[in-house]
Amino acid sequence: MGLGINYLVIDDDMMAMLPETLDSRMSWDAVQDEFGSTEVIFIAFGNKGRTVYSSELFALLWDLTKALENVNQVEKVSCITTISKIDSEDGFMEISDLQPARDLNPPQIEKIKEYLNNNPTIKKRAVSESEEYLNIMVQPYEDIPHDIMRDVVVAIGDSILSADYEIHYGGTAYITGSVPTMIRNDITILLRVGLFIMAIVLMVNLRNPFTVIMVFSVIIQSLVVMAGFMGWMVFITGSERFYFTIVNSSMPIILLTIANSDGVHFVAKFFKEMRNKKDTKKSVEATMDTLLVPIFLTSLTTMAAFLSLSFAPIKQLMGYGICISVGIAHAFVLSSTFLPAAISLKKWDMNSKAVTRPSIFESLITYFGKTVSTNPKSILGSGVFIATAGIIGLLYLKVDVNIASFFRQGTEFRNSIDFIDQEMTGTMDIRVRLEGSMKNPRTLNEIVNLQDMLENNKKVTTSFSIADVVKQMHRVVMDDDPDFETIPEDQGKVNNLFSMYSMSGDPEDFSAMVDYEYSVGLVTALSRVMSTEEIISIVDEIEEYVGNLKSVGSASVTGMAVVIRDLVYLVVQSSVISIVMSVILIGLITSLFFKRIAWGMMAIIPLSVAVVINFGFMGLAGIHLSHVTALLASVIIGVGVDFAIHYISQFRRLSKISENNALTNDVIEDVGYPIILDSASNMSFGALLFSAFIPVQYMGGLMVFAMISTSIGTLTFLAAMAELLKHNLSER
Amino acid sequence: MKVKNIFIVIIGISIVFGQSGYEITKTLDEKDKPKNMISKTTMVLTNSKGKTRNSVMISKTMDNSRRQLIWFLEPKDDKGVSFLKIEHDDRDDEMRIWLPAFKRVRRISASKKADSFMGSDLSYEDMTSRSLDENEYKRLDNETVNGRECFVIEVTPNASLKSSYSKHKIWIVKDDLYIIKEESYDKRDKLKKEKSFSYIKIDDYDIMSKISVKDVQKDHKTDISFEQVKVDTDMSEKIFQEKSLKRLPSH
Repeated sequence: MGLGINYLVIDDDMMAMLPETLDSRMSWDAVQDEFGSTEVIFIAFGNKGRTVYSSELFALLWDLTKALENVNQVEKVSCITTISKIDSEDGFMEISDLQPARDLNPPQIEKIKEYLNNNPTIKKRAVSESEEYLNIMVQPYEDIPHDIMRDVVVAIGDSILSADYEIHYGGTAYITGSVPTMIRNDITILLRVGLFIMAIVLMVNLRNPFTVIMVFSVIIQSLVVMAGFMGWMVFITGSERFYFTIVNSSMPIILLTIANSDGVHFVAKFFKEMRNKKDTKKSVEATMDTLLVPIFLTSLTTMAAFLSLSFAPIKQLMGYGICISVGIAHAFVLSSTFLPAAISLKKWDMNSKAVTRPSIFESLITYFGKTVSTNPKSILGSGVFIATAGIIGLLYLKVDVNIASFFRQGTEFRNSIDFIDQEMTGTMDIRVRLEGSMKNPRTLNEIVNLQDMLENNKKVTTSFSIADVVKQMHRVVMDDDPDFETIPEDQGKVNNLFSMYSMSGDPEDFSAMVDYEYSVGLVTALSRVMSTEEIISIVDEIEEYVGNLKSVGSASVTGMAVVIRDLVYLVVQSSVISIVMSVILIGLITSLFFKRIAWGMMAIIPLSVAVVINFGFMGLAGIHLSHVTALLASVIIGVGVDFAIHYISQFRRLSKISENNALTNDVIEDVGYPIILDSASNMSFGALLFSAFIPVQYMGGLMVFAMISTSIGTLTFLAAMAELLKHNLSER
Repeated sequence: MKVKNIFIVIIGISIVFGQSGYEITKTLDEKDKPKNMISKTTMVLTNSKGKTRNSVMISKTMDNSRRQLIWFLEPKDDKGVSFLKIEHDDRDDEMRIWLPAFKRVRRISASKKADSFMGSDLSYEDMTSRSLDENEYKRLDNETVNGRECFVIEVTPNASLKSSYSKHKIWIVKDDLYIIKEESYDKRDKLKKEKSFSYIKIDDYDIMSKISVKDVQKDHKTDISFEQVKVDTDMSEKIFQEKSLKRLPSH
């Protein structure tokens, strides 16, 4: 199965997460098809305090442009070197290169400066506001993965631009090409740290290296099987659902915690049995007798919870659910076959500390048991209070999936994005695709008004469309009179302007603004980084505006801003669907398995409370829900249900033999230790708190929080409920 | 008559045996050409996605197309637009366009030889006659194209020409001495354009009836066909002036 890893496909395309039937996705696809890739990389270079209007800088710009144009992955390079100028020269309508040669003399540089000053829309895209930096926009071919594109562009940029210049990279292709890999690398390093801490926690408590190695062996084999299965599914089905995307980044951590749970429960129980029975075979048998059913049930419910992701609108979550379920099933198989077999084969020293003495956590558990059995009402009351606070916190929960905000201010990557944002046109793009005759003056005037509306937003730095070109050509034809920088009043004139351009210029120059048949136009607005709330607001505003356009057949808004807005909705929708479906499925399975609805309810109530508390805490702490942090719900459900089922199983088993008064105490003493040990070892993923990425940091913090809320919740809230209802729930 | 036949035989023998690339091209260049020509031209542009643009125009040319007048009939958007081009040896070419909706004639610049003509895959450089002495010629091995044996010559523009191409490869039909195929390479020596040509015989002239050009880098294609071709008419040189642009001729 592990060989399937060779077929694993890593896909960093955020667009792939959007369903193909979604309006903005269809519009995005249409735009890419008609106008080429809209995800670009910006390169800004220059020096603070030095003007860009120097022959040295223009020569470098020329060299860089030519080098980029020679690369197979690059479709188009837009900068002063490639811009065609439309000018009225001594009565001639001239379309020529804005930068006529590599090496320019002062009058030629002065001419470029003059042209840019007369055409501020073009200038904004080519030169920084302070005139200290030049900007290059690199458009990749549509099918080029952004990580490859990013590497190519950065390698060329760094090799041509000497250390004497500041270089800044930005743009959506750069960010989406860099971030997922950086996140994965970051998680990989911190995961190793987490695993190391986990090993120490397990070692301190189990006090036996062999069992720690065995637990790790279960974890690693499960991870290999999950990744291999994912690869095989890609190989067999070819479906993008099984691609490893940024949402899948949490898969290894989640499976790790679940596989760890199975192993820890088994080993902890084994040592407890060994302490009494002093016989390996009998202890393994007793452990299997007690744990086989609950581990099977926890695996089944957790798999059901993850398979419920198939109902989520983000299609990669289906692959996520299926593949992690295979990993969970494998962890169950290993915990019930490989682990007992390995333990049985080892010769145990009956006088070792691991066998004879309880660990630190076991001693703590006794305290728990007594507290719960004596104060069930207070504990339940406290739980209800915390849950209420969680519900209030939910009202403050905000969603943010903007990758640019993944970095803390001051980090090198964030500085580069901020530079492009503040000095240049900005990183975010909004595209409005309009169907209708792009030669009709009414349509063109509506486009002009739309651009005015877009530029009224403070975050929007510039916008451009075919209407700008028509206005410019009109002015040139009318002897460069600025009064004629307007859309001509009749279509015949617009037609003539395009005919004139085609005689002297390359109509391909318009390919980013109008389609081949002049029946579809694209308005592009560039903006500085916006918060998700700002994005939602502006996109809604634009959609309302374009909906009222009269001479346009149909209009749709797309671009990275819209993708982010739709991802927000999808993330929320996916989270809600997966939580609700998981809870229902877990409730049903446990009810059926334990043959009582009450047990089903008992399993899901603490779980739901933990989810509410977790998301409520995120709301109160100002932690945003993103496509990375949203999956924390899965950890809570996956691990939380394990704890609840172990508790319920032991409760049912012990209720047949224990005294009613000692029942809760006995159950907690029995399952409390593995739950706390499992939880404490999983908390080692708090190492993610040291990540350079904000969502990963949050994930680390939330992992710790989730472990505390689920383990303590089980041993207090669920235990208190069971204590209060023990007369009804007892199996005696 | 006899002398002419002997001359053809001599030319033929010298062509077959050991003519250099330059000599073959010179012979081609010296072939009889009509003094002037009128035609109805249809141009179909096809982009990489299969979308097309069609134009129909009337064209009058003189001096091996060094003087050219074009009136657009179709598409409807371009109807009435006309174009005048006069090539000069000692200065920039003259190009003027009549914009009927503005009722203005505008002079347009020809500073970029690589610019495409009317959005086609033919640039102004492609449409300008190649001067023999501004290129170098290297004869390659003969090849057969469409069942016809061809001379293959590599044409390299001199640096002084400031061409947008590094070289061309041309296939000249051995029997009839006309170019049937051409490949043009960009400055990086990568194939840029593939051109193929068809001819009809009118009044002993080999007149181009179809041109097909494909820009392999842009995956864009241009098909031009010439119909209702008339050669050696009583066309006067005087028509190649600005005022002719405003009058659409009845063809």
